[in-house]
Amino acid sequence: MSDLLLQLRKLSVAVSGKPIFRELDLVINVGEIHVLLGANGSGKSSILAAIMGLAPFETTSGQVLYRGSDIGDLSTDERACLGIGLAFQRPPELAGVTLSAFADALDAGETLDREAAALDLTGFAERDLMVGFSGGEIKRWEILKLFLQAPDLLLLDEPESGVDLAHIAAIGAAINRLTAPPTGERRAALLITHSGLILEHVEADVAHVLVDGRIVHSGEPRTVFRHIQQAGYSAPTG
Amino acid sequence: MNRNVDKQLDQLDTEEEQLLRQVGYGDLEERSATAVLVNHDMRIASSAVEGVEILPMQQALERYDWVQDLMFKLIAPDENELLRQSVELLNDPIGCFLYVHDGAEVTLPLQTFTLMETPQGRQFTHNITVIGRNAKVEIISGAAVPARVHAGHHVSIEETYIREGARCRTISIEHWGTDMQVDSYSRSELAPGAEIDSTQIMLAPLRRHVSDSKTRVAANARASDQTVVFAPEGTERVFNGEILLAEAGARAESVARMVSAGGHIVNRALLIGAAPRTSGFLGCDGLKLSDEGEVFAEPSLKAESAESELSHEASVGMIGEEKLSYLMASGLDEDRARDLIVKGFLNLEEAFMPAEMRTQVADMIASAKTGGM
Repeated sequence: MSDLLLQLRKLSVAVSGKPIFRELDLVINVGEIHVLLGANGSGKSSILAAIMGLAPFETTSGQVLYRGSDIGDLSTDERACLGIGLAFQRPPELAGVTLSAFADALDAGETLDREAAALDLTGFAERDLMVGFSGGEIKRWEILKLFLQAPDLLLLDEPESGVDLAHIAAIGAAINRLTAPPTGERRAALLITHSGLILEHVEADVAHVLVDGRIVHSGEPRTVFRHIQQAGYSAPTG
Repeated sequence: MNRNVDKQLDQLDTEEEQLLRQVGYGDLEERSATAVLVNHDMRIASSAVEGVEILPMQQALERYDWVQDLMFKLIAPDENELLRQSVELLNDPIGCFLYVHDGAEVTLPLQTFTLMETPQGRQFTHNITVIGRNAKVEIISGAAVPARVHAGHHVSIEETYIREGARCRTISIEHWGTDMQVDSYSRSELAPGAEIDSTQIMLAPLRRHVSDSKTRVAANARASDQTVVFAPEGTERVFNGEILLAEAGARAESVARMVSAGGHIVNRALLIGAAPRTSGFLGCDGLKLSDEGEVFAEPSLKAESAESELSHEASVGMIGEEKLSYLMASGLDEDRARDLIVKGFLNLEEAFMPAEMRTQVADMIASAKTGGM
């Protein structure tokens, strides 16, 4: 069986006819953790949205292959059911929808009870999703949500932004537990980070630099991040 | 249990009992008192505890001469043409008199129900409730028709008196026929220091329902109500409500959550602050599930006192694409995502409701959204 989990093959995506990124190629194998680095507006979040099939992102050419099958025509929930999960950067408030009701809908009430404490969300079960949550609580919930869904491919959109340093470690630990479950195959992830702080806690395999909707460089994550800190979002020369 | 049966003409048959269970009916042993009106007859009027009387109205008028003074005290029989005609058609008043004595603290809920079993029938009921001073009570009420009854006209008057310091929680659920017309008139008077929390659940389709309610809140009394409404295509519901904060320190909160799946919902709510140190809030939230139908929300505030603090919120909208996408990104299909949002919108988690009713209400919500009611 192939280790190929996700493949973006010359994928071009637009919103209302305006190109967001063009002819993007990316391969993620089972169990690999990839990091996506890029300036604000470079199209990082759009890539995750396009993989998830979220509106208003439209594939104008190319393919999204998941376990070898083109999922371009599948709806968002069908992609999720195949094993793709997204931790949103800015999820909407859902007044009246409690964490426990959401977990029950996913048949994951026990997981909620078990995992909430590790992300310091004990006592949140009857809170409405995102209503009155701090920025850090939203990020921790989005990781907890992935425990409930248990996807094979984690799409993590800036999981540490707005989170205090103490909780970044908890989020990192949670991502590590998500990607290395006690049983079953190791899970893959595509992680967007702006600050790079999460890289102190998550062992990533490869980092990609995105500039103007194109991947201009891929390499060892900490090396790539140091380059960006010194030279900005660009491909190393020499 | 030593049951004091004031009137128990007959038991309910199996079909009737099953119907009423869908709108909150519980075994007599689980309720402190029970009244069931079937068509124009009080089938059950039974109290199991001291300090609670539940009587057919005619019997109440004969037993207590002061009951006649409460009848049409809060609403005039000629307030409009429909009421005038309805009152004139009756020889004897039909309805239930519920009387909780001063100081009674009733642990099990009371229950009162109306059944209308005649197709194209006309039913006019007049109920009076008196909750005595410092009494504490919970009341479940409901209305239902058998599946074979589609059309008819139900007119009801409710006059409720909550005496000084009394505490009352109520919940009512209705399930009328799909082609029925219902006109309901509700008048409540809260004495100083009294409190009432009431919940109304109206999920089943009917042709047209016009609700007319007025509540007067005296000094340091508090009235809180929440109404959840679902209107599928072909259903029209009109609510005209008024809350008068009549004396110093009176408070009120009234929240309506309305879901239109093609039906028409009109909610006009008026909150009047007529005395110092009064405060109140009106909330009218509408959710549209389709382009058909309408939700009209009109909360109004009238401050007659400079020391009255009144506020309102109103919102009407469709389910946002962003919310649906968020839930679907976890693997819920669109229908299940909508269900979760609508159920959350109707939000009955904090309403007074016996545990066994929660399942029934959840089933009603699910059934309403799928058009199964």
